[in-house]
Amino acid sequence: MPRVSHAKDLEIIRTQVDGKRNRARLEMVIPNGTCCQASGSAALIDAVRAELARQGLLQDVALRVTGCLGFCEQEPVILIEPGNILYCHVAAKDAAEIVSRTAKKGEILEQFLFADSVSGKRIQQESDIPFYKAQTRQLIRMHRFVDPFSIDDYIATGGYKAIAKVLAGVKPEEIIAEVKAAGLRGRGGAGFPTGRKWEEAHEAPGDEKYVICNADEGDPGAYMDRCLLEANPHEVLEGMMIGAYAVGANKGYIYVRREYPLAVKHARIAIGQAREYGLLGDNILGSNFSFDVEVARGGGAFVCGESTALMTSIEGKVGEPRAKDVHTVKEGLWNRPTVLNNVETWANVPSIMMNGAKWFASRGTEKSKGTKILALTGQVKNTGLVEVAMGTPIRTIVYDIGGGPKNGNKIKAVQTGGPSGGCIPERLFDLPVDFDALWDAGSMMGSGGMVVMDDKTCMVDVARYFLKFLQDESCGKCVPCRVGIDRMLEIVTDIAEGHGRPEQIPLLQELAETVAEASLCGLGKSAPNPVLSTLRYFIDEYTAHVHGRQCPAGVCKALITYAIDAEKCTGCGVCLKSCPHDSITGEKKKVHIIDAGLCQKCGICISECKFDAITVK
Amino acid sequence: MAMMNLDSILEGRRSQPHMLVEVMLDLQDQEGYLPEEALKTVSKELGVPLIDVYRVAHFYKAFSLKPRGKNVITICTGTACHVRGSDLLVNQVKGQLGIEPGDTTADGQITVECVNCVGACALGPIVVHNESYCKNMTPGKLRKKIDKAAGVKKEKKHA
Amino acid sequence: MLQYVNVMIDGAPVRAEKGTSVLDTAIHYGICIPHLCHIPGIHDMGACRLCIVEEVKNGRSKVTASCTLLVEDGMVIKSNTDKILKMRKNIAELLVAQAPNSKAIQDVAVRCGVKDVRYPFRNENCVLCGRCVRICKERAKANALGFIGRGKDRHVDHPPGRLMDYCKNCNGCIMFCPMSVTPCGGPMKKGQERLCGQCDSQLNADAQKMPGVCVWCELGKGFQCSRYLAV
Repeated sequence: MPRVSHAKDLEIIRTQVDGKRNRARLEMVIPNGTCCQASGSAALIDAVRAELARQGLLQDVALRVTGCLGFCEQEPVILIEPGNILYCHVAAKDAAEIVSRTAKKGEILEQFLFADSVSGKRIQQESDIPFYKAQTRQLIRMHRFVDPFSIDDYIATGGYKAIAKVLAGVKPEEIIAEVKAAGLRGRGGAGFPTGRKWEEAHEAPGDEKYVICNADEGDPGAYMDRCLLEANPHEVLEGMMIGAYAVGANKGYIYVRREYPLAVKHARIAIGQAREYGLLGDNILGSNFSFDVEVARGGGAFVCGESTALMTSIEGKVGEPRAKDVHTVKEGLWNRPTVLNNVETWANVPSIMMNGAKWFASRGTEKSKGTKILALTGQVKNTGLVEVAMGTPIRTIVYDIGGGPKNGNKIKAVQTGGPSGGCIPERLFDLPVDFDALWDAGSMMGSGGMVVMDDKTCMVDVARYFLKFLQDESCGKCVPCRVGIDRMLEIVTDIAEGHGRPEQIPLLQELAETVAEASLCGLGKSAPNPVLSTLRYFIDEYTAHVHGRQCPAGVCKALITYAIDAEKCTGCGVCLKSCPHDSITGEKKKVHIIDAGLCQKCGICISECKFDAITVK
Repeated sequence: MAMMNLDSILEGRRSQPHMLVEVMLDLQDQEGYLPEEALKTVSKELGVPLIDVYRVAHFYKAFSLKPRGKNVITICTGTACHVRGSDLLVNQVKGQLGIEPGDTTADGQITVECVNCVGACALGPIVVHNESYCKNMTPGKLRKKIDKAAGVKKEKKHA
Repeated sequence: MLQYVNVMIDGAPVRAEKGTSVLDTAIHYGICIPHLCHIPGIHDMGACRLCIVEEVKNGRSKVTASCTLLVEDGMVIKSNTDKILKMRKNIAELLVAQAPNSKAIQDVAVRCGVKDVRYPFRNENCVLCGRCVRICKERAKANALGFIGRGKDRHVDHPPGRLMDYCKNCNGCIMFCPMSVTPCGGPMKKGQERLCGQCDSQLNADAQKMPGVCVWCELGKGFQCSRYLAV
């Protein structure tokens, strides 16, 4: 007998968890996602747990290890409830103090509170921190309540209620109508209406259908899908179950990239628990709906984020896309009707079913509904995962949530959509985050990466970076993408290295337009976007490279020289030690010199020098 | 010994061509690379032409056909890490070890790889040393890490 | 029972068997759509993209390769709009810059209207059209060749060991290779590559005046146009 065979069993589990939670006087939430672990959260958790045991507080204080809460810059953090108190940058060595003073006596330790960068004031409550204030957190908000290893925790948040409700008598057509009415659009990039996709798959003939969760997230600079799958895997599973029921599928796959080992692990554990509880398998919750999910790992290929390539990869083959004249909703995995949505899209489904389309559509713009998680990174003060209502202006995200430029430089642009997207210049920062608005500006939402660039970023170099990326990641099947990207890179490299010719700029434009239309798959079709958008908004930087032979941002190596400012150099010798090319000489406590012949302009000395003595011209 | 382990990887997956990528990922994790003999066995057991096995091995970045070093240092070169200077880290490695990303030092101690994103973008640049993630890396920090991993204590003297 | 559908290609109403590609249909009716990687009777992969056409649907047009596009009733195809001609020329220019030492590719480039090449020539031996790979797999069933690697590293190779362990000596790969079957008068030495179009065919004519219908041109023999192969 499965543990959950009826909706009322979910209620029982929920009461049990609540009961256990009410016995604890205090809750300490420590996130432990991949990014948190990079900051040392694992050691912190061990230290806190040991300390709680030592001081005999294990009964009194509940420690919950969760997925990422979003504010990665400040990690490792501890969130203390009740009180909504957030301690930032906590190290393992601080555990004893925090446990003995905060957990035992309820004192608030000033030194761990978030310090506002403008006023310098310490902010006690998490909800008052500017980073969180302008956000509308719908999905990320749940992470604090859920230990990803515990299905009970998820059930306690009302989890699996939506599938129970659906199986208790909502028709597939009604689910599809609800998702359509909600206006949910695919969070993976193109923003295709999810309801329409489901409808086509539902209507496609065939008994054997599939649903797939795309957690390949190859976009460098975006990691919300990793975070969602790590932190709340059951929510994604529940979304997939609802989708599978709506289209008539009995089998699902979660395609996770191997570079996300923690997400793979959490997804597998979640699937195991759901099977054990009878929430996956035959006759779920006593209905005649049967469904199971498997994890398929991606081997590290950006192109496998493309739907047809992803499906061939699940089939165990080389992930090359095929022509999509027949849509995957009709002929997808093993040529069966298949619905592919990304993690964030699936995660939005349960709450739509619980709260209704109207509730979901109450946020957002006319054509982009709900919230979107963005990965705010790059040259901005507060980096992390940001969830905002669709339609929020970019300016609000960069300046209010992000806190403005990191190093006091001027922000120049924001890159959205990864290698398929483009750069949006500062003057257009009033644009709302909206699928269509970003598309019209020559970029795209993509999966929601938002990399902030300041005036020390060269846009020609950015175009070159993405072209290099795409040159490696293109599968190489079709000519426009393989050769076209190669030739675009050749031209951009010429420009960056100072031997660009004026006629190469229109050639670049023409080639980019051809690649965009004639390529086989979505990767090739969107590959020229970084070039086209930088040409559109930053043409002056290209002309400066071509006509003036200079790189305004001081990035392109062939066009700059390094020197040591005699006024500032103290002769400490750090640059000399760090230079891997032995191009710096000088005696201790005397001004050092760079040998321009040996210097590779690698920039290591600049990052090591504490006195800003190295200049770039 | 290696064959025994391959058996356990193949268990329940024989004659199922669609398990190819999964089998090879497990093999890669277990051995650190894909030995030629093992690939021939995989080809036979799953019923996939050898050429297709090799195509998969060359297509996905996760696979390596050469044994890797004891220490694998992975530098993230995703966009967020790039704008925060992951290039410098790559330069540091090239200068310090004299190898290109993807290669292993002659003594088999260190393999350096570049990866397009490990998904910890807010803390870039990121370096993954074996399985531990290191945030906000600088060339200096990386240099010390590599020295430690290589077991070398080098100190450049003032000229 | 065979099912037929009605399709409009370049304004001409034609009837095609269900399940055939737009390219095959066009060739059958003598409508010339330049192509390179297509071989009749072999699975199409849509690699060269020379055969791109516009499919007009609900007032919107979409660019797609005609070899992988299957006919559907009421389909409207345009193979020679200005936009398509320009893109096809750009693709042919990319191809000829990669491999100027193939008469087939030189001819295709001239046929597509390439007048000058704006990229440095590369003199490679393979344009990855995949004809050899597919012949080996589908006709010889030898699986001796395959695409190895991805992106710029993609190349055709055999599994490790000796090629003869797999090869069935059918010669299909050589017969269908646009590089080996029609080497041009050259080979041009490194640094001396050029767009020639000097061969005595009707190819020296202005591409704009090139007929849209098949005239059994010399070019077709050169790069094994499906029109010849199908006979």
